[in-house]
Amino acid sequence: MKKIVLGMVLSFATLSASEIKIAVAANVSYAIEPLKKAFHMLYPKTNIEVILGSSGKLTAQIKNGAPYELFMSANMKYPEVLYEEKIAVTKPIVYAQGVLAYLSVKPQDFTQGMRLLTEDKIQKIAIANPKTAPYGVAAVEALKNAKVYDTVKEKFVYGESISQTVTYATTAADIGLIAKSSLFSPPMAKFKEGIHWSNVDETLYTPINQGMVILKKAEGNPEVKNFYDFMLSPKAQKILKNFGYKVE
Amino acid sequence: MQEILNVISLDFAPFILSFKLAAVTTVILFILSLPLAWYLSQSNSRTKPFLEAVTALPIVLPPSVLGFYILVVLSPNSAVGAFFEDLFGVKLVFSFTGLVVASCFYSLPFMVQPLQSGFESLNKHMLEASYLAGKSKLQTVVKVALPNIKPSLITALIITFAHTVGEFGVVLMVGGSIPGETKVASVAIYEMVEVMEYGTAHIYSAFMVLISFIVLLSVYIFNHSQRKIGVL
Amino acid sequence: MIQIEIHKKLHGAHGDMDLDVNLEIQKGEFIALMGESGSGKTTLLRVLAGLENAEGDIAVEDVLWLGNRKMLPPQQREIGFIFQDYALFENMNVEENLLFVNDDKALAQRLLQMTELRRLSHRNVKGLSGGQKQRVSLCRAMMKQPKLLLMDEPLSALDPAMRSKLQDEILKLHKTFGTTTIMVSHDADASYYLSDRILVLDHGKIIADGRPQEIFVKTSKEIYTLSR
Repeated sequence: MKKIVLGMVLSFATLSASEIKIAVAANVSYAIEPLKKAFHMLYPKTNIEVILGSSGKLTAQIKNGAPYELFMSANMKYPEVLYEEKIAVTKPIVYAQGVLAYLSVKPQDFTQGMRLLTEDKIQKIAIANPKTAPYGVAAVEALKNAKVYDTVKEKFVYGESISQTVTYATTAADIGLIAKSSLFSPPMAKFKEGIHWSNVDETLYTPINQGMVILKKAEGNPEVKNFYDFMLSPKAQKILKNFGYKVE
Repeated sequence: MQEILNVISLDFAPFILSFKLAAVTTVILFILSLPLAWYLSQSNSRTKPFLEAVTALPIVLPPSVLGFYILVVLSPNSAVGAFFEDLFGVKLVFSFTGLVVASCFYSLPFMVQPLQSGFESLNKHMLEASYLAGKSKLQTVVKVALPNIKPSLITALIITFAHTVGEFGVVLMVGGSIPGETKVASVAIYEMVEVMEYGTAHIYSAFMVLISFIVLLSVYIFNHSQRKIGVL
Repeated sequence: MIQIEIHKKLHGAHGDMDLDVNLEIQKGEFIALMGESGSGKTTLLRVLAGLENAEGDIAVEDVLWLGNRKMLPPQQREIGFIFQDYALFENMNVEENLLFVNDDKALAQRLLQMTELRRLSHRNVKGLSGGQKQRVSLCRAMMKQPKLLLMDEPLSALDPAMRSKLQDEILKLHKTFGTTTIMVSHDADASYYLSDRILVLDHGKIIADGRPQEIFVKTSKEIYTLSR
């Protein structure tokens, strides 16, 4: 009887050891599947459980004891806060640089850049909520630097996360400022560069340095470090590049 | 920018918005539901179970599903949304009007079912006596049926109101969280929790609970007093 | 004069049957409609009131209430109806119940006076006794000064003392207003006392039609059973 119980406990322990829980900012949700696949080829025995959300929400959850072992944020600020509070055990490191893009279901003339947003036919502009999503912060920054923020702020609709912003941009809003990475997932293939989407002028916003940290809860789980190292490896960086991120 | 956001987050617009939305929805939904509830209560047709099931759907549907479909079907990029915008100049998403429409779907069964139930419990002979007195169906509903189902009527109104105040998932999908227009209290509080402004979240939440409790309490006291007089 | 020629299939507790009624009623007649439960009495009343449909014709002083595939709705028939369960408007007081039918305060007060309900004019009907409710029901029905007064077992829910009192009031009103009346009843005494004509319905068909004395004398045994 004792042996059976012990056996069960051990196998249960091994089961949980070959699973890692990673909290991933919404903008990475599009690239996460290819990333998982590539990681699996190297470590077939490890299961990855992905929790998606806006960086702000995930940070709040982590602070309140959520069982995540790794956090890939959309900025550096949230991981830095976690590191200061010793909830993150590694110093935040940049795993990718996010890029902001315009997206509209109707063809637009993107050559005018931000001026386009001031036109009458653009009635609703979807941006991520700057309080919870770093891409929203970048969007507001870009709008202000382009000197159109005050003119168009009445038109904003706020997505709770960058992924909700994409939903808005592809359904009811006239245009959205979104994470470029979303454009490379299969359902978005129908949107063409220069017609439906375009890069936002990079000089208008501070580079979106996306930081990654290993969390305290990863203690005793060596697989987490494997994924961490993988994300910084050339293989992962290539995938990220394919999704529109800027990499080292 | 942070300062601007702080100031915005301290005002009471979300509450006023929540209660305004609940009030407008309750009134409109009452007018729309009355004929449906009456019809269902008086009908024995084969389509009745089908209609009842459809009416009850919003109870079971996850709010996010409801919100998603409303977003897609009523958006200006869709046929329905474009029609409304072109003809009436009315935006059905990202606007207060859109929230009212969404809330009407969301709270429909909470208005219809108590009314229908109340009507079904009425003495049919009493209604017939009204017809025989020369009153039309509408006059009968307004002057005889409704006054005799006061408890059900109050239940319907209150529950619809409360349900709409507490609405979250649908509003989140369809509203766009626009301050002063679609950022209702439930969304505002959610946002505060997300950014860990717990102090403000506490204040807002306590306020919501207090106001809602006072509203409900007044209604139940009114109900009770009516019963004592023997009016109900 | 009222001419009735109707046909309706009924699905009752005693099986299916055909309601087949063909009769003429003179103005001012007081008819007692008798018969076993399930014989179609209430249905006949409801068809006359327009609360149920049937095939055939109903003509009231040359106005077609039913016929030519048209059915005049109850709202437009000049009918007073007294239900067995009174069916008063419970959200109103006694006077309001009457005024709801016809906004004639003088007539209302007169009727209430005749039925000794005047002092209860402003009492909500929910608090009244059975006998009082039935009297209100009677007044309410008369407010329309109807061409036809239909009563569905108006006395059966009342105790003997009340029954007697109400019979008197029904008679008083009939003598005063001369309204053509059809009263469904199980009560042989009341039928004999109030009516000048008795119809007996059996399985949807009229099997006897005549003056009270004739009916009782001819078929006393059957009537005795029916009135139980």
